[in-house]
Amino acid sequence: MQLGIYIDQIRCMGCFNCVVACKDWHDVPAGPASWIRLKTIEKGKFPNLFVAFLPTTCCHCKNPECVSVCPAEAITKRDEDGVVIVDREACLGKDDCGMCLEACPYDAPQFGAEENAKMQKCDLCADRWAEGKKPVCVSSCPVEALDAGPIDELRAKYGDVRNTESFAYSETLAPSITFKPKKDTNNLFVQRTVVIPGPTIDDR
Amino acid sequence: MSEQNTESKDKIVHTLCNSHCGGICDFKVHVRDGKIIRIESVPDEDGLPSMCLRGHAYRQRVYSPDRLLHPLKRTGARGSGEFTRISWDEALETVASEMKRIKADYGNASILHFCSMCDPHLIHSVGAFHSLLCQFGGYTAPWGYISCEGYAFAQGVTFGKSSTLRQTGHTPEECLEARLIIMWGWNPVTTEMGTNMSLSLARAKEKGARVIAVDPRYTDSAATFSDQWIPIRPGTDAAVMLAMAYVIIKENLQDQHFIDTYTAGFDKLKDYVLGLEDGTAKTPQWAEAISGVQAKTIADLAREYASVKPAILGSSFGPGRSAFGEQYHRMAAALETITGNLSLKHYAPSVRDFRLIPPFPFQPNQVEVGAPPRWNALPSRGPSVNSSARVNVSSFTDAILKGKAGGYPADYKLLWLSNANYINQLGEVNKTIEAFKKLEFILVTEQFMTATARFADIVLPVCTFLERWDIMPAVDVFSTKRRDFTILHKAIEPLGESRSQLEICQALALKLGMTDFPDQSDEELVRQMVANASEKRDLKTEEASKKGAAVSQKPQLRTPSGKIELSSGIAEKMNHPQIPAVPKYIETWESLNDPLAGKYPLQLISPHFKRRAHSQFDNLPWLRELQLQAISINSGDAEARGIKDEDMVRVFNDRGEVRIPAKVTERIMPGVVALPQGAWYSPDENGIDLGGCANVLTRSITSPGGAFPSHTALVQIEKVVN
Repeated sequence: MQLGIYIDQIRCMGCFNCVVACKDWHDVPAGPASWIRLKTIEKGKFPNLFVAFLPTTCCHCKNPECVSVCPAEAITKRDEDGVVIVDREACLGKDDCGMCLEACPYDAPQFGAEENAKMQKCDLCADRWAEGKKPVCVSSCPVEALDAGPIDELRAKYGDVRNTESFAYSETLAPSITFKPKKDTNNLFVQRTVVIPGPTIDDR
Repeated sequence: MSEQNTESKDKIVHTLCNSHCGGICDFKVHVRDGKIIRIESVPDEDGLPSMCLRGHAYRQRVYSPDRLLHPLKRTGARGSGEFTRISWDEALETVASEMKRIKADYGNASILHFCSMCDPHLIHSVGAFHSLLCQFGGYTAPWGYISCEGYAFAQGVTFGKSSTLRQTGHTPEECLEARLIIMWGWNPVTTEMGTNMSLSLARAKEKGARVIAVDPRYTDSAATFSDQWIPIRPGTDAAVMLAMAYVIIKENLQDQHFIDTYTAGFDKLKDYVLGLEDGTAKTPQWAEAISGVQAKTIADLAREYASVKPAILGSSFGPGRSAFGEQYHRMAAALETITGNLSLKHYAPSVRDFRLIPPFPFQPNQVEVGAPPRWNALPSRGPSVNSSARVNVSSFTDAILKGKAGGYPADYKLLWLSNANYINQLGEVNKTIEAFKKLEFILVTEQFMTATARFADIVLPVCTFLERWDIMPAVDVFSTKRRDFTILHKAIEPLGESRSQLEICQALALKLGMTDFPDQSDEELVRQMVANASEKRDLKTEEASKKGAAVSQKPQLRTPSGKIELSSGIAEKMNHPQIPAVPKYIETWESLNDPLAGKYPLQLISPHFKRRAHSQFDNLPWLRELQLQAISINSGDAEARGIKDEDMVRVFNDRGEVRIPAKVTERIMPGVVALPQGAWYSPDENGIDLGGCANVLTRSITSPGGAFPSHTALVQIEKVVN
């Protein structure tokens, strides 16, 4: 069985509930590391605009490159649910290694501001599943834009859509994700893409 | 109602967050060894959470290193921020002796008190302070909602009362049924009034509703929900609405049956709209020149709104927070009425099972006894709020500076602010500071060293709502979902020496020599109130069910005619040129036609920000990293000034200057700039604010109907050159 994520990008309104709920639940301090981030994509010129939001977590890929490249075998994929987890004790650190960060196109490996920070990432709230609860990002979403569960079931329920605004599906990695996509039918020019918390990507 | 989590040793405590945002959200607080370790949302009956990012960050508020944990006495100049720690006894003794001295020297009217709606529950809120101050012989209270006085005025003169709902006057359930929703200055994604509103909008859209956003900004709500965005110049909303009425009347699209049955004064409104009263027809072309909205767009909007049913005009409080904001709200009510889109059921007498009343001793406020009503009093308001002894909240600063010589009821000497950050949140910060310097004594009860607390003589530390008990009455104002009351359970002990508002009042009552102020704990008071309420409730519920639902559906309007007044008898009696009988477009001060626009050509608005509720939460790291406090400026306006994204800019007018980064964006119309309100005022040695507090630039003045005109201000912006 492989657990995965569903994102309704049309409903997502960029409220940041998932981001802060995740930081509180997992006790992640303010700073560059955030297990879930919110991407804002702004396109077009006044007054013809297109704006979309996209929460991004670890996609718990079927073939996770981070697991393959980790020299310390600190990253593993669980047999029972396909969740990719990290053993922070074993991690060599961002400055000494950082190979997982380079390998992942979705910026799932996260690092704090400290020197040679150990990797941390979304574990799809393994502790909450154990109590029969969905991940905190899902249960804190006020518009039911997120869901989590066996990816086959999510695709059967919501459809199998692998690409959306600002997300490109990798056939090699096979991320466990499906979308209700928000489409820019006018194909407008990208003004700005911002990822928060985290570095700013300036596409202008 | 605390439960033990079987998996761990954590205690789960249920309470409710109501942090002056308009939302009311259940909290499940996880406590381990007397410390909060996380806060979880509670799914409602539909399995949905009601909690926002600020609620999820509340743990950082409780344990913030900035929390005030001891009473403080000022040692430096007012505003210097120099304080020394003192004992509770010394602090209360000082407060009591200053209160007695000022009462003896100047009388009770010289004492001003204001309590914010920071945690507006029943025990630790305005009721306790009010009771204490009334027993002390009275005090001067303010009148007027900073958020929505324009709305309250419009409701009062049009319907003779307020709708049982607030904000847009529509429930989430009504939005679900709508085929057209106009979000007029309404940004529910950010403002959160009614936590299930966004989901209803999303679902309405999925069912095929068309959504139109009328707003100077392409807000997150516009981006998420709207099919069409109509940018509009601030302060011109009433003009566009009048032009919509023109099209509706000219094309005979009004609901004549509804008008004939329920309203009075339609002909007078019609005369003004068609130009028979003043010679100017309020055509779409006329409104285009004022608002920047194309005439064709206005005409199409009018036709669509009058013909698609059910249609919702979601007119938010935001546009009403401008000069003559009451006219916008009156015109919105008129449009809803003439198209028959008005939900009359919201004007039915509310069926209240029972009232929860805290057992504080009641004494009338002697300062108000015998004072005649204000000239702009509304019959829908109580005699206390209508009293001419009160001071409008937007005139607070002026009243302190001028007193009786300026026509105010008294000279003000003592100011007590309870969790209210007035320097930050009232118009014209620099003028407010001058006023604060003039006062003889300032007491601030607070959780943090706010801009306002820095000016206090004594600061008393107040605990958060997670550190005490309270109770919240039926909270169905934003939704039709009902519940009788919610008990706010105490999760942890108060931090440091901080105390609850009730404990502060109790201790001060003793120092003031009062013996009949209740001495029970908040937990005991909650239990007592619940026990009393349960008895009364069973009786009333039975009565209500006997009478049947039909009775309660009939609207009850307290206007002179008993009808919805499109031409208002109440307004007419006020006899003020800027409070006309019919809703009118009145050009604001500091509009683009003001000669001042030559010097300050940009219209400043100061909207809400997701990561704050007014000035609350501005200091929490989890929230600060999400949004940069910056001034939004259209790319064309920025380019003309050589400003690039995130450049430091000076935003200024004759009232002050703010230096912050620019956010260059397509999501705001040219000529308008937006600085989110609530950022903490942080002046440098020259008095230039580096915190980004919008009220450094806004004006301290009241609209004739009482609207707080924070969206009416002209500014200029320049790049900071090092």
